[in-house]
Amino acid sequence: MPRKKEPTLSNSIRELRTGKVPMTQQELADRVGVTRQTIIALEGGAYTPSLALALRIAKVFGKKTDDVFRLDE
Amino acid sequence: MNANEKAAWTELIVSLAACGVALALAPFLGNAATSGFALLGLLPLSWLFFRRRGGEVMTDERDDEIDRRAKYLSALAGWFTLLLAVIGLTMWSNFAGDHTVRTWVLNWLVWVQFVVVCGGHGLASVVLYRRQAHAA
Repeated sequence: MPRKKEPTLSNSIRELRTGKVPMTQQELADRVGVTRQTIIALEGGAYTPSLALALRIAKVFGKKTDDVFRLDE
Repeated sequence: MNANEKAAWTELIVSLAACGVALALAPFLGNAATSGFALLGLLPLSWLFFRRRGGEVMTDERDDEIDRRAKYLSALAGWFTLLLAVIGLTMWSNFAGDHTVRTWVLNWLVWVQFVVVCGGHGLASVVLYRRQAHAA
């Protein structure tokens, strides 16, 4: 049986991070408790975060999770 | 490069070095060349990369996920090594007609399997980290 293709998750972390109150990748990483490499992977769309991490990132930017992450179907 | 990726490179390099040394010594020492695999004893040194500096986050969920996938792949590689070796040994012992397996063959098999699991874990981790590196 053919397997349904998993939808990818895109995000606007880079735009939000470099927006009104710019912060470095390291600052964001420290605030959400991950390594800078994970922020790099997230911004490049190479890594899909866990729900907990997605919620923490959205909280840092003061946004809803939907505003930061979206499904590309 | 974070601590986990450095540890993966260490694992890969040490495994390859141990394999290389054992194979290089084999023509001179015979089965005693398996002593070259003692280099695998350097593997725990990778814990040096995990020394905490200030409040720095050393590993996170992405590292855990990569480690989990690498462990699965290395266990699979180790299992297939064992399976193929056992099939090969059975076929060889039947072909040779004496229906025995030499102890030194099993000795090498254990070490090779150990290298495959350790090196496989390092290689899988490095490849998984490299796949995400294009985003950097």
